Amino acid sequence: MLGIRTRFLALAFAVLMLFVLSNCGSTSKLAQVQNETFTYAANVEIMPGGWDPSTDYSSELIAMAQMYEGLTRYNAVDKKVEPLLAESFDSSNGGKQWTFTLRSGVKFHTGRPLTALAAKAAIERTIKLGQGAAYIWDPVKSIDTPDAHTLVFHLKYAAPLDLIASAGYASWIFDTKAAGSGDLGKWFAAGRDAGTGPYTVDTWQPGQEVQVTLKAFPGYWGGWSGTRYQRVVFRYVPAATTTVQLLKAGDVNAEMQLTPQLWASFQNDPNFLTTSTPSYYNFFAMLNTQRAPLSDVRVRQAIAYGINYDGIVAVLKGNAVKSSGIVPAGLFGHFDDLPNYTYDPTKAEALLREAGYGPGGKNIKLVLTYEQGDNFEAMTSAVIKSSLAPLNIDVGVRPLQWSVLWAKTQASDLSQRQDIAIYGWYPDYPDPASWFVNLFETQNPPVYNATYYSNQTVDRMIGEAMKLTASDRPKAETQYRDIQVKLLQDVPAVPLVGMVYQRVLPRSVSGFQDDPAYPDVVFVYQLTPVK
Amino acid sequence: MRAYILKRIGLGLVVVLGVVLVTFVIARLVPGDPAVAWVGLHATPREIQQARHTLGLDRPLYAQIVTYVKGVASGNWGTSIHTKRPVLSDIGSRAAASLELVVTAMLLALALGIPLGLVSARWHGRLPDLLVRLGAVVGVSMPTFWMAMILQLVFFQRLGLLPVAGEYDPSVAYLNPLVLYTHVPVIDALLNGNWPMLQSSLTHLVMPAVVVAAYPMAVIARMVRASILDSLGEDHIRMVRALGFSERAVFGRFALKSTLNPVLAVTALVFAYSLASTFLVEAIFDWPGLGMYAADSIRSLDTPAIIGVTLLVALVYVGSNLIVDIAQAIIDPRIRLN
Repeated sequence: MLGIRTRFLALAFAVLMLFVLSNCGSTSKLAQVQNETFTYAANVEIMPGGWDPSTDYSSELIAMAQMYEGLTRYNAVDKKVEPLLAESFDSSNGGKQWTFTLRSGVKFHTGRPLTALAAKAAIERTIKLGQGAAYIWDPVKSIDTPDAHTLVFHLKYAAPLDLIASAGYASWIFDTKAAGSGDLGKWFAAGRDAGTGPYTVDTWQPGQEVQVTLKAFPGYWGGWSGTRYQRVVFRYVPAATTTVQLLKAGDVNAEMQLTPQLWASFQNDPNFLTTSTPSYYNFFAMLNTQRAPLSDVRVRQAIAYGINYDGIVAVLKGNAVKSSGIVPAGLFGHFDDLPNYTYDPTKAEALLREAGYGPGGKNIKLVLTYEQGDNFEAMTSAVIKSSLAPLNIDVGVRPLQWSVLWAKTQASDLSQRQDIAIYGWYPDYPDPASWFVNLFETQNPPVYNATYYSNQTVDRMIGEAMKLTASDRPKAETQYRDIQVKLLQDVPAVPLVGMVYQRVLPRSVSGFQDDPAYPDVVFVYQLTPVK
Repeated sequence: MRAYILKRIGLGLVVVLGVVLVTFVIARLVPGDPAVAWVGLHATPREIQQARHTLGLDRPLYAQIVTYVKGVASGNWGTSIHTKRPVLSDIGSRAAASLELVVTAMLLALALGIPLGLVSARWHGRLPDLLVRLGAVVGVSMPTFWMAMILQLVFFQRLGLLPVAGEYDPSVAYLNPLVLYTHVPVIDALLNGNWPMLQSSLTHLVMPAVVVAAYPMAVIARMVRASILDSLGEDHIRMVRALGFSERAVFGRFALKSTLNPVLAVTALVFAYSLASTFLVEAIFDWPGLGMYAADSIRSLDTPAIIGVTLLVALVYVGSNLIVDIAQAIIDPRIRLN
C-alpha cells in the first residue's frame, strides 16, 4: 500500500507526463499553423464600435481593411489613387460627375456577385445611416447604374470622389442583402462581415485577448497563388513591454505603436526590420485669436518664433519631424519650401517688445490644454512651456480628457476657453481640405476651429481649392500653397511636428509597405511569410 | 440565523444603493459630455442633442437615477459608450477571466501565506522568521508592474519556462478548439478533456497569478504570524502545553485556529479589491479582465460602464463580507450572529 505522499507524487508525475506527451504529436502542426498565421498586436480594442462597415469610425479599420474594399485605394508612395473594386474611374463636368467601372468576377463573402446595384446599395445605406464618417459622401446627389458594372455619381458640387472612395472609413462596399429579410445592423453586430476582401471573419471574442481571427476567403478575386498568410489574428496587447517580448518570441508579427525607445531597441537586431514613415498625423498649437494678447498677430508670430521645434523632435526621439506648413509630407499640397517659422528667440523677443511684452515688459500668462494620456502631446507641451518661459510667457499646462478639452474649446462663456490647445489632426481620406475646412475655415459656433480664426479671403480660397481638387489637381496644389503662406503670416495656429510611424516586423515577414492613408493598417494579403 | 442573514442582505443592499447613487452623481458632475463620446467626432449639434435624448441625459438627474436602478433590478445595466454593447454582457465576458486570475491567486496566497506565517511564528526571532518577514515586506511593497516585468524577464526571456502573456496560445487553440462552458479556459479545457489547451492555459496562468497573489500572501503570512504569537501567551495555549502536546500540535492545531477568522476577513476584502484593481497586472500580462475594462471605461468617460463596474465591485464586497461573517460564526462559536 502506497503512502499518501507517494501517491500524490505519482499523480503529479502522471499529470506532468500527460502534458508532455500531449504536446509531442502536435509540434509540427503547431509550427505550420504559426507560419501561416499573421498575428497583429494592437494596443487598442480591435472592434470598439462594432462590425458595421457603414458606421465604424475607429480602430476597427485595422481589421476592416482585410475584410472590405472600397472602389479605390490611395497609394502614398506615388501620391496617386489606384483602382481597387473599380477597374477605372473618370470625372467630367468640372468634377461634378464621376464614373466608376467595376471589376468583373468579384464576389462578396456571402457568395453573391458584386454589381453596380449592390455597390450603390452599400453606399446609399452608409449615407442613409449618417453615422461615423458617412459625411464623406455629402457631395453625392444621386447614383445611377446604367449597366451591371458602371456607377455614375452626380454630385451637388465638385468634389474629389476618387479620393473620397479611397477612405479608410465609410467607403467600404458590402452586400446589403447579407441578412436577407433580417436587420442588417444586427446581423453585423453579431460579428459577421459581408465584404469582398481577401479575409473573412472566423471568430470574434469581444473583450478577450485574442479578439478577432480572420481566415482566407477562397473566392477572393485576387486569387491565392504564391505563398500568403491564411489566417490573421488580432491580439489586444495594452502593454508595450509585453509586445516587445511577444515579438521577440515570434508570437506576434506586427506591432504598430511601440514607443520610440522600444522601437530603437530593435534597430540593431538582425532578426527584425524597422521602418520609419512620415504619417498624415500632425500637430498644431491652436492659438486663441479672439482673446488678448493672442489677438495681436505680433504676439502669435513671437510664439511661433519662440518654440524650440528641434527640442520637440529631440524629446520625441525620432517619432516626429518638424512640420512644413499645414499639409503633412506625402500628401499633395505639401511643400518643403514654405516660409516656415524656425526657433529664433531674438526675433520673438523683438516682436514681443513691439507689442509691449517680452523680458522686462508685461508678463503674459497663457493656459495650454492637451489630451490627457497622450504622451506625444505631453512632451510637446512641456517643450513649448520651457521654450516660452525665457520670453516672459508663463504657460500653464492642463492635460484634459478629449471630450472635456473639446467642450472647453466650444464653451459659450468665452472666458472659459483655452489660450492654446494642442491638436493632432489626420484626414479621413487623403485630401488636404480636411485640415483647412476643419481647423481654419470660419465656424460659428466653433466645432474644431479652436483658433476661432475667421478670414473671408481664406474661406473663399479654401472653397476654390476644394473645387480644383476635383477637376484640376495641379492648380489645386498651387492654391493650397497660397493658403498655407497666408496662414503662416496670420499664424492662427503654429504647425509643430508630424508624427513618424515607427514599425517593427520580424524578417520572417516580407513585402510590408506602410501607408499613412490607412493608419496602422497592415494589408496582410500583400505580405509573404518567409520560412 | 435566518433573521440575521436577511438583515445583513438588507443592509448590504442599502450600501450598494448608496454606492450607485454616489457614483452616478459623481459621474454626472465630471466635465465632459457622454453624448459626444457616443456620436463621434463629426456629429452635428443636432445629432449630439439626439444622442442626449437617446441616452436619457436630457432628463433630470433623479429621473435618470430611478430609471437606472429600475434597469439594474431587471438586468439592464445600460449600454457601454465605448463598446456600444450592454454593460452586463461586457462585464460577464470579462468577469470570467478576472475570477480565474483572482481565485487562483487567492488559493495560492492562502496555500503559501498560512504555512509561511506558521513557520515565522514557530521560529520567532530566528532566521526563518527573518526571511518570511523580509519576503512579506517585499511582497507588500514591491510594485506589481515591476514584479510582473521581473518575472517575465526571468521565466520567459532568460529561462524560457513560461509564456510571456495571454490566457493561452492562439495557435494551440486553433488546433484544439475549446467548447466554452464557463469561459474560464482552465475549467473549460478540463471539461473538454482538451489537454493541450489545459497545459497552455495553466502555464499562462502561473505568472499573473503569482503577481496578484504576492500582496495577499504577504498580508496573510504577517497576520497568521501575529495572531499565533498573540495567542501563545493565552491561557488555553499554556494549558495545552501543560498537557504535554507537541510544539507541532500546539502551533498547527491550537494556535492556528485563532488565525482563521482574521485570515478569512482579509481574504474577503482582498478578493473584492483585486477583482477591479489588477488592471496593471492585466495590462502587462495581456489578461482580458475587469480591471482593463474599468481602466478603458474611465479613459473614455464611459459612465454606464464605470457605474456598472463599481456596482459589481460593491456587490462582491458586500457578498464576500456576508459569507465571511457567516463562516466565522460557524468556525468560532464565540461569535454570535445576533
